[in-house]
Amino acid sequence: MLIFSGSSNKPLAQKIAHDLDKKLSPVEIFVFPDGEKRITLQEKVVDQTAVLIQSTNTPVDTNYMELFLMVDALKRSGAEFVNLIMPYFGYQRQDHIFRDGEGVSLEVMAKILEAIGINEIFVFDLHSIKIPEIFTIPTHNLSALPVFAQKIREQFSGREPILVSPDMGGIRRIKEISEMLNIPYVTIVKDRDLNTGSICDSQLNGEVDGRQAIIVDDMIATGDTMVYAADLLLKNGATSIFAFATHPVLAEKASKVLQESKIEKVFVTDTIEIPEDKKFAKLEILSIAKIAANALK
Amino acid sequence: MVKTQINNSDFPNFVLLTGTANEPLAMKIAKLLKSQINNPVSVFADGEIRIKIAPNLRRRHVFIIQPTCPPVNDNIIQLLLMIDAAKRASSSEVIVIMPYFGYSRQDRKEMARVPISSAVIASMIAHAGADRILTLDIHSEQEEGFIQQPWDNVYASYALAPAIKKKNLDNLVIVSPDKGGVSRATFYQGLLGASELAIVYKERDLSVNNKSEALAMVGEVKGKNVLLVDDMIDAGGTIVHAANYLKEKGAKRIFAAVTHGLFSGDALEKIGKSALEKVIVTDSVKHRNEVTKNSKIEIVSVAPLLAEAIKRIETGDSISSLIIR
Repeated sequence: MLIFSGSSNKPLAQKIAHDLDKKLSPVEIFVFPDGEKRITLQEKVVDQTAVLIQSTNTPVDTNYMELFLMVDALKRSGAEFVNLIMPYFGYQRQDHIFRDGEGVSLEVMAKILEAIGINEIFVFDLHSIKIPEIFTIPTHNLSALPVFAQKIREQFSGREPILVSPDMGGIRRIKEISEMLNIPYVTIVKDRDLNTGSICDSQLNGEVDGRQAIIVDDMIATGDTMVYAADLLLKNGATSIFAFATHPVLAEKASKVLQESKIEKVFVTDTIEIPEDKKFAKLEILSIAKIAANALK
Repeated sequence: MVKTQINNSDFPNFVLLTGTANEPLAMKIAKLLKSQINNPVSVFADGEIRIKIAPNLRRRHVFIIQPTCPPVNDNIIQLLLMIDAAKRASSSEVIVIMPYFGYSRQDRKEMARVPISSAVIASMIAHAGADRILTLDIHSEQEEGFIQQPWDNVYASYALAPAIKKKNLDNLVIVSPDKGGVSRATFYQGLLGASELAIVYKERDLSVNNKSEALAMVGEVKGKNVLLVDDMIDAGGTIVHAANYLKEKGAKRIFAAVTHGLFSGDALEKIGKSALEKVIVTDSVKHRNEVTKNSKIEIVSVAPLLAEAIKRIETGDSISSLIIR
C-alpha cells in the first residue's frame, strides 16, 4: 500500500502514514505561472493499492482539480486500486435543488470521482448521512465522534453536562454521542432564510438550566450557528458553553466571531488544515488520523 | 466577414449563459446575436460556487460561454456546475463554448507517471452532461477524441488574418516558434499569401518547467518582415526567444499573431524588452488592464466568429465552412 497526499492537508496525511508505519510516497505538484498544476508521481505504482489523502476545503475548486489529476496519474500509471480519503468533502451541502435553477453540485463531484476511477472512498462526518447512497462504489462515512467522546469524558468527568444539537439536522449525531457517553441531550430548532442564508428563528427543546452545555455539530462555517446556539443556551440558564465540530471550515470572520463569543472553548479536528492566521486562543485541534488509519488497516 | 443575424424572436429556443471567466467576450457575442445573456454564478461564504439559473430553460438549447483561462481550476468547476444546473432545468441540449481550453497542453504522457489532464477535463465536461463542445484553436486537435460528444474546433485566423493584412507587410515570412506549430504556420502562409516559411527549433528541458530556448532555425529571414504564429503566449518565453533569435538572424520587422494571450508571470516585461514590434492576440481569455493598455499588444475580437458558430449550431448549418482554408 502506497500513501499519497495532495497539497490540501499534508500534516494530516503524514500522521495517517505514521500511524500505518509508512512514509508518504513522493509526488511533485508543480504550479505553472498560469495556475495550471502538473502532477508527477515519483514512485512506481504498477499493481499497487494507492491511498490518496486530500480534503476538498477552500480553495475547493483547486483542491478538487488536484485530486482528479492525481487519481488520473495513479490509474494511468497502473495502480490497481485507488482508495480516496477525503476528510472534508467539498460541495456536500449542495445535495439537492434548494431553489429552481440550481444544480446539485455534490452529485457532479460524486459522478466525477467515480468516473476517474476511484475504487473506494472514506469521508468524515457527512452533512447528510444519505450521501454515500449516491455512489456506486463503496463509500464510508467515518466519524470523529469517538475522539470527541474521549475528550468529553476527560474534561467533564464528575460533572453533569448536557449535549446540544444546534439544529434538527444534527439529531442523529447528537443521539449517537449521547449513547456513547450516557449524557442526555437537547436540540435547537433553527430556521434559515433561504434568500439571505441567515438564521431567522430558533427555539430550544429541553432543559439546560444550571448545566454546562456541549454543542456538537458537523462543521463550523461562519460560526453563526454556534454563537446563536450559545446565546440561546445561556439565556435558558446554561452555566457555560463548549463547542465541538468535526470540520473547521472557518469561513469569513468565524475565528474572530468565536473568539469573541461566550463559548469557553472550541474543539475541532484536523480534517481541514487551519492556516495560522485563522487559529485563535479558544481553539483546540483534535486528530482523526488514527480513525482514518484504522479504517485502512 | 459573414453578417451574423439571429435573435431570440427568430430562434426562441436558445439561451446564452456565461460564467465569470470572460464576461466581456460573452456580452459581445450576445450583442451580435441580439440575445439576452445571464450569469448564474455566485459564491458562498466558504468559497464554494453556487449556480442559480434565472431564465426558463425547458426544451431550450443552452449555450454556455466559458473559456477555462486563469483562475483555471475555478473556471473549470464553475463550468461543470453550470452544465449540471442547465441539464437539471430540463434544457434539451447543453452546448459548451470554450474559446480557451485550460490544461490543453497536458494532452499526452510526455513522461512517466503523469496524468493526461486535458483528457480529465474533457471527460468531466462530458460527465457533467454537455452535449457538444466548441473550442477555438485547441492546442492539439486530437483532443477532440477524448470524448464521444461532438466537438468542433474553429480557428482564430478568421479574426487574426484580417488584422495582419491591414499591416500591409511585404516580403513576409511566416515563422513557427517551435516544431509543433509548423502546420499552423503553413496554414497562415496560405491564408496571407506569404512566400516563405521558417521554423525556429527549440529544445525544452522537461525537468525545468516553462523554460525554453531557441537554438536553431530552418529557413531565411534576413532583410525580411516576419510574422511569428502560435496558439498561445503563456509566460512568453517561447515567442520572445524566437523573436530575439530572428532579429539576430537579420529579420526586419517582427510581429506575432497568437490566439490565446495569457501573459503569465513577467511575460509583458519580456515582450516589452524583446525585438517584437507588435503582438496581435484575440480576446479568447479575459485580459487584465496591463494587457489591454500595453502599446505592444493589439487585441482583435473572436466574438463575431463565435457568434457565427453559435448561429450555425443553432440553425444546423455547416461549421466546417467557417474554417477558411
